[in-house]
Amino acid sequence: MAVVKERRASMAERKPSFIGKESPMIIPHLAGMEDPLPEKTPEEVDVVIVGTGLIQSILAAALSWQGSHVLHIDKNEYYGDTTPTLTIEQLTQWVRNVNKGLIPFYTNAQIYVSSDKIGKNYASRDFGIDLVPKVLFAQSDMLTLLVKSRVYQYMEFMPLSNFHTFENDSFEKLTNTKQEIFTDQTIPLMTKRNLMRFLKFVLNWENYPEIWEGYSNKSMAEFLSEKFKLNQTQSSELIFSIGLCYNNDVATPQCLQRIRRYLASFDIYGAFPVLFSKYGSAGEISQGFCRSAAVGGATYKLNTALESYDPTTKIVKFSDGSKVHVSERVVVSPTQTPDPKSKNIPKQNYKIHRLVVAIEKDCKQWFGEQESATVVVFPPGSLNGENFEAVQAIIFGSNSEICPQGTNLWYLTSVEKGENGKRLLDLALKTMLKSISRESIEVDDNVVKFDNKTGSPVINEKYLKEELNELVEPKILMKCYFEQYTSTCPFSIAQPEIFKTQKKDTTDDTTNGNKDNGVIYSPMPSSEISYDGAITAAKVLYETIVGSDDDFFDVDFEDEDITTTNNNRMSYSESAITDDEGEEDDIIMKN
Amino acid sequence: MNATTNQATSIKLVLLGESAVGKSSIVLRFVSNDFAENKEPTIGAAFLTQRVTLPDDTIIKFEIWDTAGQERFASLAPMYYRNAQAAVVVYDLTSPQSFLKARHWVKLLREQSGNNIIIALVANKLDLCEEQAQPETEQEETEPRGNVRKVAKEEGQKLADDEGLMFFETSAKTGEGINNVFLSIAEKIPLKKKGNEQESATFNGNGQSENSTSSNGRIDLNARNGSSEACGC
Repeated sequence: MAVVKERRASMAERKPSFIGKESPMIIPHLAGMEDPLPEKTPEEVDVVIVGTGLIQSILAAALSWQGSHVLHIDKNEYYGDTTPTLTIEQLTQWVRNVNKGLIPFYTNAQIYVSSDKIGKNYASRDFGIDLVPKVLFAQSDMLTLLVKSRVYQYMEFMPLSNFHTFENDSFEKLTNTKQEIFTDQTIPLMTKRNLMRFLKFVLNWENYPEIWEGYSNKSMAEFLSEKFKLNQTQSSELIFSIGLCYNNDVATPQCLQRIRRYLASFDIYGAFPVLFSKYGSAGEISQGFCRSAAVGGATYKLNTALESYDPTTKIVKFSDGSKVHVSERVVVSPTQTPDPKSKNIPKQNYKIHRLVVAIEKDCKQWFGEQESATVVVFPPGSLNGENFEAVQAIIFGSNSEICPQGTNLWYLTSVEKGENGKRLLDLALKTMLKSISRESIEVDDNVVKFDNKTGSPVINEKYLKEELNELVEPKILMKCYFEQYTSTCPFSIAQPEIFKTQKKDTTDDTTNGNKDNGVIYSPMPSSEISYDGAITAAKVLYETIVGSDDDFFDVDFEDEDITTTNNNRMSYSESAITDDEGEEDDIIMKN
Repeated sequence: MNATTNQATSIKLVLLGESAVGKSSIVLRFVSNDFAENKEPTIGAAFLTQRVTLPDDTIIKFEIWDTAGQERFASLAPMYYRNAQAAVVVYDLTSPQSFLKARHWVKLLREQSGNNIIIALVANKLDLCEEQAQPETEQEETEPRGNVRKVAKEEGQKLADDEGLMFFETSAKTGEGINNVFLSIAEKIPLKKKGNEQESATFNGNGQSENSTSSNGRIDLNARNGSSEACGC
């Protein structure tokens, strides 16, 4: 039984100039620039973090601003560990390393690179490919932390408003605003009313237990059908595109929570629920938090691997021969363990299939106006009735700056159990490629002209020939598939318990001679399409090290010349579904 | 043009150089100095900003990115170089080693950012090689006094000529030459014309528009439509 340690002094207590300030402490303007930096690798640090993935980077920044001295290393020459943004060359090398068994918890990695295009028409570094692509909900803990930590200032964000659902062999764009529901001619009046009633209910669903309690253990589709008279298409859109749930087993309350996440995010920055970062997803945010940590005093060393940790002497040894005494803990990414066979590593029981494809094609018709990304969802059963889990896809255009002009990056993800995942992702890819070729012919009306006299259609053969050439599927520039394992189950709501996978304290277990006794393993990335869970996971680690997460990023940076625009006051719950028709729907169900 | 409002052109400037050559001192001297008319030494944990008003009333807002020490073990992230329009590469004119390192950074910058980036090569610690070296050298107690110049001005000038850099010799300590570095960079920045914003807008700073979505589709996360209280939940 470990003795409960006295809590370490916070940065405010350590730096004399801060004493007397009230909590939350104010970080002065010159933070990070006032002390000359040490020349050599420090000999003594509080925490060593191995791997610069998203969760570890958030942790490094939180600990640094809390006052811990962090040494953050990564064996790779790039930032990101399990969540990097890679060039095609780097990705190719990564695939090789996976297949050589050098990167644990990834299997079946394959890559195709078009040799007549990449390196000729396009450079490898024109692409920034994330191993873990994500979108950012406007109302989320990640967004709040990006603003609070000022990490958002290192990045650029763009809106994403179009969500598509693949249903009955076609891609339906989601009708997700009240405005759109009202104006959509294809929705019957009664359905409109039911949809409105549901949208209004879901924003405050906890307040109406009488409506959903009976469905706590029943499927959401059943709930929507019985309580709101919504048909299969509508409930499928709500559950899988708005809720971004994986399968039909999702419990009603959890699904309601996920649907609300989407609706509550609407109109916070504009008429879109999610944002994405330019130049890369999780890889970009990882870099941002690492920089924040560095400003907060953390030391960074890439190209450095963990050799061993001795929990008795508390000495950490690195691949470059250096060593450091650590006063607190060592946090290690499972991919950078000094001992891949060690029993100390938590079981990584869940498999994620990922496919990323670069195609030479403009997919503008799928994007919202002025936008450069979209989400496409294949609900369970929509791929020839074969998929038990939804396939989620994010498509990025070239304005995201992760691929050159005229190309797109498609990311497809599935948590399908068994060996069918790759085939299902390929099927989804094929379906999308077919659709995008078909749509390009529909937009051109040069092919069919109408005879001025008879009014009958005349086919312009020259154009038809050109269009048929167009119909040939777009050129695939790069295609990469891999499977990733994680200890994090596909969750609906990011509860801290999900991330508490650390085995018993192995500090005293020196008998088996493992090189990783006493380290804390950080979780592998989850399958979640949004950033939900990353901060929760970082907080679980933070609490393990510091003793409590009370002061997690409890900092307040002095104000710069921020011109806060507060003139547009609107509470989010109002703006998401304003009653523009003045209609007072009573959301209490009268049975 | 109304120069008092926010018609400033934002320029991302990165600092490079071996540790202890005085990168931070140069910037601190610049941002806390009194020379700029629209003085707004606004420094945050993210980076430092300083506005400079040029003789023609153009305002350049420098966003100065410090390495935050990530260069020490060659661990600068791509994020650091990205879209930088200007760089200040610093060496210590008493340290030939730091001059070699400066050469290395120039090469790296050219690799990362091509020829569009404006690079100023700065030889710092000029105060150490003047006859009347000041006695109060507390922060560099190990430095010997007197003329300890190890890198000739001509060497620096030659590197600058070969690589197409601007060249300056400065003293962050006395302030000599510092403002000139930034002012010269500001004057060299190709000013964007109206309607050509995305060309040089590099950064999602604090949006000037009332809307959080700017014309080029970028969003300022600090400008929510909703009230700020809504963040609390």
